[in-house]
Amino acid sequence: MAAIAGDAAVARFEERHRALRRRKALTTAIGTVLFAAAFLASAIVGELDPARLAAGVPNILDYVHRTLPAISARQPLTDIGEWYWAIDVWLLLMLDTVLMGLVGTLAGAGVALLFCFHAAANLAPNRWSFWVARRGFEFARTVPELVFVLIFVFAFGPGPFAGVVAIAIHYAGALGKLFAEVNENADPRPIEALAAAGAGWSETMRFAVLPQVLPNFLSYGLLRFEINVRAASVLGIVGAGGIGEELYLVVRRFIYPDISAIVLLILVTVALIDMGCERLRHSLIEAGPARATR
Amino acid sequence: MIGAAELAAIRAAHPRVFRRSAAERLRLALAWTLFLAVLAFGLWRVLPGWEAFAAGLGKLGFLVRFMIPPTSGGHLGAILHGLAETLAMAFMGTLLAAVAAVPLGFAGARNVMPVRLLHFGLRRLFDGLRGIDSLIWAILFVAAVGMGPFAGILALAVPDTGTLAKLFAEAIENVEKRQVEGIEAAGSNAVERARFGILPQVLPVMLSHLLYFFESNTRSATILGVVGAGGIGLQLAERIRLDDWQEVAFIILLILATVAVIDWVSGRLRRRIIAA
Amino acid sequence: MLEIIGLTRRFGTVTAVDAVTLAIPHGQMMGIIGRSGAGKSTLLRLINRLVEPSEGRIVFEGRDVSALRGRALRDWRTDCAMIFQQFNLVQRLDVLTNVLVGRLNHRGTLTSLLKLFTAEERAAAIRTLDRFDLAEAALQRADTLSGGQQQRVAIARALMQEPRLILADEPIASLDPRNGKVVMDALRRINREDGLTVLCNLHTLDTARQYCDRIVGMRAGRVVFDGIPAQLTAPIVRDIYGMGEEDLDRAETVTGTGLEAASRPRIAA
Repeated sequence: MAAIAGDAAVARFEERHRALRRRKALTTAIGTVLFAAAFLASAIVGELDPARLAAGVPNILDYVHRTLPAISARQPLTDIGEWYWAIDVWLLLMLDTVLMGLVGTLAGAGVALLFCFHAAANLAPNRWSFWVARRGFEFARTVPELVFVLIFVFAFGPGPFAGVVAIAIHYAGALGKLFAEVNENADPRPIEALAAAGAGWSETMRFAVLPQVLPNFLSYGLLRFEINVRAASVLGIVGAGGIGEELYLVVRRFIYPDISAIVLLILVTVALIDMGCERLRHSLIEAGPARATR
Repeated sequence: MIGAAELAAIRAAHPRVFRRSAAERLRLALAWTLFLAVLAFGLWRVLPGWEAFAAGLGKLGFLVRFMIPPTSGGHLGAILHGLAETLAMAFMGTLLAAVAAVPLGFAGARNVMPVRLLHFGLRRLFDGLRGIDSLIWAILFVAAVGMGPFAGILALAVPDTGTLAKLFAEAIENVEKRQVEGIEAAGSNAVERARFGILPQVLPVMLSHLLYFFESNTRSATILGVVGAGGIGLQLAERIRLDDWQEVAFIILLILATVAVIDWVSGRLRRRIIAA
Repeated sequence: MLEIIGLTRRFGTVTAVDAVTLAIPHGQMMGIIGRSGAGKSTLLRLINRLVEPSEGRIVFEGRDVSALRGRALRDWRTDCAMIFQQFNLVQRLDVLTNVLVGRLNHRGTLTSLLKLFTAEERAAAIRTLDRFDLAEAALQRADTLSGGQQQRVAIARALMQEPRLILADEPIASLDPRNGKVVMDALRRINREDGLTVLCNLHTLDTARQYCDRIVGMRAGRVVFDGIPAQLTAPIVRDIYGMGEEDLDRAETVTGTGLEAASRPRIAA
């Protein structure tokens, strides 16, 4: 009797095991076929062509070679001076680019801060403001910055303002989502206490939620500043001014050494900002937020 | 509710409750002044004049009106082809970057690469690759291999190789040592250790990163066309130049829908990979 | 006089509070006892309107407060201050600000958001903290205090509201006996000295007997006992808890607030 029951159990297990294996094999097969199809389609549509790449590699090397500055061992400083012959203009343009990133970051962070409480499911004062804030952030985040720049350059004319607005919008969307997620993890007990004390919605956000989330907000905000400066450096290509515009200009005029000079300038600037932000974040985290909120 | 005498007494007993210390006030004032000065300087450098601003706002209003209703203007075929190119660029760019980043990631991990100098050099190489935006790479590759999506693929693949290699190297440095030691104790060589000791641990992390990069590359690939590197960006930039705002709106909506679908699919896949 | 008339609250198919009718005269210290999930916590939250009633009325000094909205609702909440089992302080803010939070409904929104509290308000906060020997801790962060100190800060916050009654939801359930006594003494003090009505959920019968003028026993959302401590006999305890007092001490499951998750606070806009 027991043996028969045991056999049945084994049979059932075998049956289940086989079904599971079949399903897994099927999933793998479908996945492989889908991947192969996507690969083929992408290769055809993307005009993937090893021959062209092979033919292009010397071109690329030649291009890079041409951009390298001629720095001799005999008078290296003079040569570097020669390479960076327009350093004063470039530094000013780089400053514009950094400011574009900075103002865009601050404006975007401000908008994100203003509406992130509406976009948090546990805090939104009502359903429709939650929906509007969520969809608004999603829209702002999804449209690529460059699309916004193209539109704003058309409206406001070429210049850094178009870049600032584009960065601010995109950043507000990206940061707003992160902020809302932080808000959703906030401790509900102080919120309940303030509601019970008769505080209004905005006061509850200010005193029960903000002190909890502010350190995270600052950390996220600084994390993205470097990325925004990097983005600002290329927005000039489509007319947002700054160093990117100059870079595109020298590329199209084939002034090769200037290309490497400007690219290196961007790289160094972004790296410096990255390091500065990292230090600031650490000091903020160590100092604790008590000071920041009082 | 409180008398003047009592107020004075409490004030004397607890001065800090009413006023911050002089040092703290000075520090706060300095921090705020610095912040506001930088902000004011930034605004002064980037803001257009009031007239340009007002005119621009007016123009934006017109644009929105011109965008309605969005239509494909009979160029649906060309637009969809641009979209297909964009997706192909994102897929191939991510894939190429992944293929290049796996060996580079292993070589750049401190626990795999014993030569300090090589490890350091590789890490700086990764930083250099990812420090240059894909749009700049696109300009370079358009010059090198000509216009079209192929240049776009390379422009996405190169900076992503740097970022992915860095992420992979970090993931590899964080693997559990005991599992690798187990393989080592069985008398294996370096390649076997990497294959059986490290790879099983980092594979889910790598796949999850890859999907995330595919999402992000879909977004990036929509704009590379602006500099001639293929994809829907070319269509978009052309329409803006030609003032075809209804078609611009159509393309933007198409991009939004595509990105949303890709995000959704890849998000589900990522959750499944992490759960498995 | 606080009158609760046929007050009922249902969560889905569960009736947490079932047709409760009580009249609480001014200045009374009333304890509410019962097993976890008996509806004690929901009853207090209903009175403060953190939870909306399904049926019934709450009348305070002749005025129906069970359907107030907006400003009037916030004023009512200011009138009935709540004290929570977990103190519910803002951990990252200092003690002073936590106490001043009790003033928020008495002042303009903008000055509040900028944290511009007046010297009088600050002095009043210090005076209130001083009543509970906490004036020296005013500028410390709340999370640096012990549980008993935090609960006394919460009482100071409640007093800053200038309330008419105090609703204390298991105020000592998270504290050790010594701190529990300090906090209960503080509640009795404000009941005696300030003449405030205190409604207090308690999980230990001894505490209820020792501190309360009147005890209400709840079971499955209904009031099954209402009287003075001396009337709380062994059969009645068995009726309220479904077990004798001696078993009760062993079965330490009578604490907790089972419906806390179900009753999210509604923030008055």
